[in-house]
Amino acid sequence: MRRSDLGEFEEVVLLAVAALSPGAYSVLIAEELERETGNSVSTGAVHAALQRLEQKGYLRSELGEATAERGGRRKRLFTVTALGGRVLSEVRAVRNRLWDRIIPNIRLEWS
Amino acid sequence: MPNNPPPLADRLLTWFCAPHLREEVLGDLHERYILRVQQRGEVRARRHYWLDVLAYIRPEFIRRQPQEYPKPTNTTMLRNYLKIAWRNLIREKGYASLNMAGLAVGMAASTLIFLWIQSELTFDRFYSKTDRLFQVYNQDVFGGNPAVWGTTPLPLAPTLKQNYPDVEEAIRYRPTTLLLTADDRKLNVDGAYADPTFLNIFDFALLSGNREKVLAGANGIVITKSLAEKLFGTSDAVGKTLQIDHKDSFSVSGVLDDLPDNTQFNKLSFLLPWTYFVPPGWDSDGWGSNNNYTYVLLKEKVNSIAVNEKIKHVTAEKLKGVIDDVSHRQIFLHPASKWHLYSREENGQLVDGKIVNVRLFGLVAGLILLVAAVNFINLTTARSEKRAKEVGIRKVVGAQKQSLVFQFISESLLLAFLAGLLALLIVVLFIPTFNDLIDKQLSLALGSIGFWLAALAFVLFTGLLAGSYPAFVLANFQPGKVMKGVRHSVNSVFSLRKGLVIAQFSFAIVLIIGTLVIKDQIQYAQSRDNGYDQNNLLFIYMRGDLANHYGSFQQELIQAGAAVSVGKSIGSITNLNSRQWGLSWPGSTKADKDVEFDRFGADKDFLKTTGTKLIAGRDIDVQNYPTDSTAVLLNETAVKTMHLENPIGTTIHFDSHDWHVVGIVKDFIFASPYDPINPVVVHGPAGSLPLSWVSVRLNPANTTAQNLAMAETLAKKYNPGYPFEYIFADESYKAKFADEQRTGSLISLFMGLTIIIACLGLFGLAAYTAQQRTKEIGVRKVLGATVTSIVGLLTKEFIQLIGMAFVIGAPIGWYLMEKWLQDYSYRIGIGGGIFLVTLASAILIVTLTVSFQAIKAALMNPVKSLRSE
Repeated sequence: MRRSDLGEFEEVVLLAVAALSPGAYSVLIAEELERETGNSVSTGAVHAALQRLEQKGYLRSELGEATAERGGRRKRLFTVTALGGRVLSEVRAVRNRLWDRIIPNIRLEWS
Repeated sequence: MPNNPPPLADRLLTWFCAPHLREEVLGDLHERYILRVQQRGEVRARRHYWLDVLAYIRPEFIRRQPQEYPKPTNTTMLRNYLKIAWRNLIREKGYASLNMAGLAVGMAASTLIFLWIQSELTFDRFYSKTDRLFQVYNQDVFGGNPAVWGTTPLPLAPTLKQNYPDVEEAIRYRPTTLLLTADDRKLNVDGAYADPTFLNIFDFALLSGNREKVLAGANGIVITKSLAEKLFGTSDAVGKTLQIDHKDSFSVSGVLDDLPDNTQFNKLSFLLPWTYFVPPGWDSDGWGSNNNYTYVLLKEKVNSIAVNEKIKHVTAEKLKGVIDDVSHRQIFLHPASKWHLYSREENGQLVDGKIVNVRLFGLVAGLILLVAAVNFINLTTARSEKRAKEVGIRKVVGAQKQSLVFQFISESLLLAFLAGLLALLIVVLFIPTFNDLIDKQLSLALGSIGFWLAALAFVLFTGLLAGSYPAFVLANFQPGKVMKGVRHSVNSVFSLRKGLVIAQFSFAIVLIIGTLVIKDQIQYAQSRDNGYDQNNLLFIYMRGDLANHYGSFQQELIQAGAAVSVGKSIGSITNLNSRQWGLSWPGSTKADKDVEFDRFGADKDFLKTTGTKLIAGRDIDVQNYPTDSTAVLLNETAVKTMHLENPIGTTIHFDSHDWHVVGIVKDFIFASPYDPINPVVVHGPAGSLPLSWVSVRLNPANTTAQNLAMAETLAKKYNPGYPFEYIFADESYKAKFADEQRTGSLISLFMGLTIIIACLGLFGLAAYTAQQRTKEIGVRKVLGATVTSIVGLLTKEFIQLIGMAFVIGAPIGWYLMEKWLQDYSYRIGIGGGIFLVTLASAILIVTLTVSFQAIKAALMNPVKSLRSE
């Protein structure tokens, strides 16, 4: 699996979809990311990332129900595919392995 | 519910965002907006909304969704139309080629005419200052007859330039023929004297030399490229020297590119500075002699009418006291744009002129194209039933009438395009022949974009002209009817086609009448007794030393046996050189002074040399009768005009001499063979006009080549510096018919083409009618009809059409040709014979065209034609 095709923002968005499932969609994700990171996140950026992830096969989407706030427009709901899940866990495994190799003393120095 | 988000932002998003994403994107934005309003208030939410919208400006939101199904475009249908059209062409090769040949010939003929018209319309109009350029004309009234002429006095140009600030430039111009020699090459060449600014006004391409200076020097000559090549063998001739008349040396100061065909200066080969010009003895540099051309360039934005008013009496002022009556003498400016097309002199005015021909041939071109288009219309509508089922199916499947019209027009355009290619080929092949016929140098500008655009426009125009009507007819078919197989009755559609055929042949009949009348008129004038013997008669203009050695030259010509008789004259008898007013004789009145005489002069043997007949008295003979230098011969018309009872011995006064009549000559044609014969005086050598021509009656016992060889040896002996040049009387006489012959050949060419085109159409139409009536013919044959009666049946209809065309065309042709003949005073009357020949030939042509198909149909085996049902 090539790691290079998952950008940092994409990874976060993919994680967010997984975390918010079922019923993850761009507004929810953008709000969640804003809350978690404290930076402002536009739905446009999220939507673009979602489209890319879907193209890569890590996500699949379907149209959900319409609500009044949306002016009667439907939302697009995203779910992580099996491939997406594997990629996420692989990313996590790599990170964990690296974390585990950090000498505990140094970790203490940071905190 | 809080306020809606900014509508402008929404509109922006709707504009750039791909349609298939709009719903979710707008939904997301609105939902988040409401969240923001709740969290942070409306003002900040609105600002944020804008930022959010702008965040969507990315390629993945802007790019439109690719279509799953290809949308049929116009070109798809067009390709289908062209494919069907092509298949139809291939299937019906015969009709298609008839159609195309007709169109191609029509297009080629009109293209040739348009090329000619274009060259006429640009004649002398391509100078950069054409709109400010004028030629000065003279006007006066002589004995009640208004006259207009284009030559002017010599001092006019300098006077206009000096005294009138509106005149930017005024130049003198005088054509001449001179002998130019360079090394051993000698040539008699046409050229002109001109003021230095000539080339600034007439800005012909100068290959080398400075436009401002080439004519400013005292001995610099400007020559054309082809003259340079003839004289020096190279066009790089600047600085080389040549001699004029073996006297003066000039060095070439500039080389002109060969002058274009469509300028009045197209025969010009050299230009000499005006300072070199010396008026010949019979001319003068006073205001009374009009022998030079004056061209005027006005300043910019000057009104030529106002200038005309100012200058009109310039010559009259100067001529007061020089001539008796100056009250009618005027000059006026004639604009360059009218020089070629509007310069016919009539009643002292310049009226239409060649523009009449341009309009006439434009009309002919249009009509020929129309005849070709009519062919197309006839053949296409006649055969429309073949396409009826196709139209029905297309309509049932959902084709609009509009798209069917479009289909059939594009089909016609395809055919017109192919015909256009064929026409181009025809034009390229026949342009040299056509050039010979019209004596011009036309060419196709194959290298220019403008030409191809014009050609394309022409093809489109022809295609639309020919294809529009059939397209509407075809598109109008009712699917219900055609699918059921209801046939259009032959007659219902035939009426319009009948009309068109009648129109075509009316035009053809007008052209046939025109051709016949012109041919008859030329023949009539050619067979007119010209009163002298034009065979074996030669004219030589005396240049250089020939005049000094004339006596020996004349004697030795006769001694050597080259000639039977030789005489000096003021010109050649085939061309009118001079006219004389103001003669007085015993019993003449003041009004007789205005009688115009043709004037000729000879020293001896005038009758013997020219072959004119003596009626009374004797010939002029200065050798045997010393007083004959003031002798005069009159022609019969002169005797009648002067009312002389005993003409021999009468004294006549003109040209400051008293002349005595020694003989009467039978009338001969001096000027145009179409004009009535004027009174003529042939006078002895005492007059003011020099006898500078030699008329030679060659020895009929020898061949012309032998005579010419002997004459040339003698001419070389007495005049070694000049080439031996001569004119034959019969050639010079023939040239008088050239214009009429040209018109005649053109009209007969167009007649031929029109008839060919019309017959192509008729041939197709006959084939179609015969095919339509196959069953009928079969039944008739079974019932005992003969081949003749069937051929008659099929041909009759067309003969009737021709009859009607004749009824329409004959009066038009008669009217037009009467008008044409009015220009000639010696002319034929249009008799019934011409109409009979026209009708007979038209019927013959049509019968030949139609009967081939008719006989084919009549010979068909009825078993075969009836079996199929």
